[in-house]
Order: sequence, then structure tokens, then C-alpha cells
Amino acid sequence: MAAALSVSPNRMELIKLKQRTALAQKGHDLLKDKMDALVMELFDTLRRIQESRAKAMEQLRKSYSALSNCMAVLGTVETMQAARQTRKEVQIEVSTRNIMGIQVPTVEIGETERNALTRGYSLHLTSSSLDIAAKELERALRLLIGLAELEETAFAIARELERTKRRVNALEYILIPRLKDAMRFIMMRLDEMERENFTRLKRIKAILEERR
Amino acid sequence: MKVERIVKFELGRLNAHIPERRITLKLALSSAKPVVFTKDGSVHHFKRDELKLLSKLLPEGEWDSLQLPIFISLEPKLGRGAARIRGEAEVKVICKILEKERKESELIIYRPEVAVIRRKLPTTTQYMFIW
Repeated sequence: MAAALSVSPNRMELIKLKQRTALAQKGHDLLKDKMDALVMELFDTLRRIQESRAKAMEQLRKSYSALSNCMAVLGTVETMQAARQTRKEVQIEVSTRNIMGIQVPTVEIGETERNALTRGYSLHLTSSSLDIAAKELERALRLLIGLAELEETAFAIARELERTKRRVNALEYILIPRLKDAMRFIMMRLDEMERENFTRLKRIKAILEERR
Repeated sequence: MKVERIVKFELGRLNAHIPERRITLKLALSSAKPVVFTKDGSVHHFKRDELKLLSKLLPEGEWDSLQLPIFISLEPKLGRGAARIRGEAEVKVICKILEKERKESELIIYRPEVAVIRRKLPTTTQYMFIW
């Protein structure tokens, strides 16, 4: 109410306040729409993360099982040596997309699964168990890259959601009520002035009638 | 800061992610890097998988009329959660995704449908705020 008392109570101010309230309300509605859309995006991303993580964990379990098997068959040192000889490159294209002003990464992954000839390790010194382990790990890598993209997206959306929520709350609980308070104050004051005028006129009329 | 300035700043920022110029599906499919530049100067990439999906949903003759990204317009006057899709080809594609019957060149969709569209076409659709 302190802010309301600082406005001058006249009709011009009331009109201005009405316009400001309408604008603030419009902004609030739009930001609320944005917040709803962000919540929807966030929940969808979280659902996809859940699915993607479950798949990635399952694939990692398979991969480590295949790797243990390979180490048992081929030997730890030989497996490590083959891993060092392997070509460590994956074709990925990292770009950005925009969700309501939020820059989120999009990753397009090329083929991660290679055949035994293109992996780079010696074929006559290794066994087929290494090929199986490598294949499983390559599949896991694809899923992990996808998961990383989704997690980064979720973080970015959550940050923007927090910011938007703060704006919506500021409009909803501070600015709009303050403007409405000021409007109410002016309307009350104008009514009061009208009543004062009315009483004054009645009083003047009574005095004039007394004089007559 | 005055209320108007805060609100106008926020309203101005709402559509900063809209591209300066949209591209057609045909152009996006033929381009090595299908991208559009947004008003705030950032780059928005379209995923190839989505472009392929759209090309399957629309006959080749209409690839030229589908403008990307497809705008999902959020308008407060429509009510909370409602959105509008404009354009013949755009409505046709969205109707096929939602398995709806197409009636007009404009389509009003609701929150669950928006979620379906965003799930299937995350890069080839964008929100637009209209007031």
C-alpha cells in the first residue's frame, strides 16, 4: 500500500495504471504459456533420459560382460594392447537447436559400429571375443552420446524454467498486485473526493437557502 | 525499472528464437547442413531423421510449400494450453502425425497434442508467442 500511496490520485494516473496493468497481465499470460511449454519440454526430456539411461545401462552391462569374457579368453595385457591399437575416432556432428531461446546441443552420430577390419587392431593376434566386446562397447558409446545430449538439454531447460518462473511470480505476486493496489487507492480517493464535493455542495446549498 | 520496460523486454525476448527466414522442406533436404538463423543470431539445426520423416508424410510435389520450422503459435486469447498451426502443408503434416482429419488451413491443437508433435519433431517445430 506504501507504493499505492505515492501515486497522485487523479483520473489520468488511473488510466495510465489501467494500461500498465493490462500490459503486465498480458506479459504474465505469455510467460505462463512459456513456462507451461518449458515444463512440458522438461518432462518429455526427463522421460527420454529415463528410457535412454535404462538402455545405456543395459548395453553397458552387456559390454562389460563381453569385455570380461574377452579378458578371460585373450588375457588382460593382450586386450589392453589391442585397445591401444584401436582407432579412437567417432564421427559426430555437434550443433545447436533453439527451444524458446534456449540453446541446446543436438548431436548427430555417424556409424559407431565398425567391422573387425576397420577397428585397427591385429586380427591374427586377437580372438573373436574381442570383436564381440568391441561391438558391444561401440553400441554403448552411441547410447551414451545420445544420453549426454538429453542430459545437457534437460539442464538448460531447467535453468530457463527457473528464470521464467521467477519472472512469472514477480509479475503475479508483486507487480500486478501492486498496480491493482494503486488503482484501488486512486479509485477510493476519487470516490472520496466526489463524496466530499457532494457534501460541500449540499452544505453550500443549505447555507444559501438559510440566507434567503 | 518501470513495469512497462520489464514486461516489454520479456515480450521482446519471447520470440527471439524465431528464424529470420524459414526454409522449405525441399531446400532443407537438399542442403548439406539444414540450418536457419534466428533473430537473436544463433543457429538452429534440423535433424536429418526429422526431415526424412516429413518427406515421407508429404508428397514430393508439396515439399516446396512446407516452411520449416513449423510454428506452434501460443496465443493467450485461445486459452491456456491451446496452440494454432497455420499453413496448408504444415496443417497436413501435423494432422498426419496426430492422425486427425484435416478440415481447414488452420488447426487448433491442445497440450497433449503439442507434446506429441514436439516429441516427434523437436527441431522442425518451434513455439511462437503471439499477443
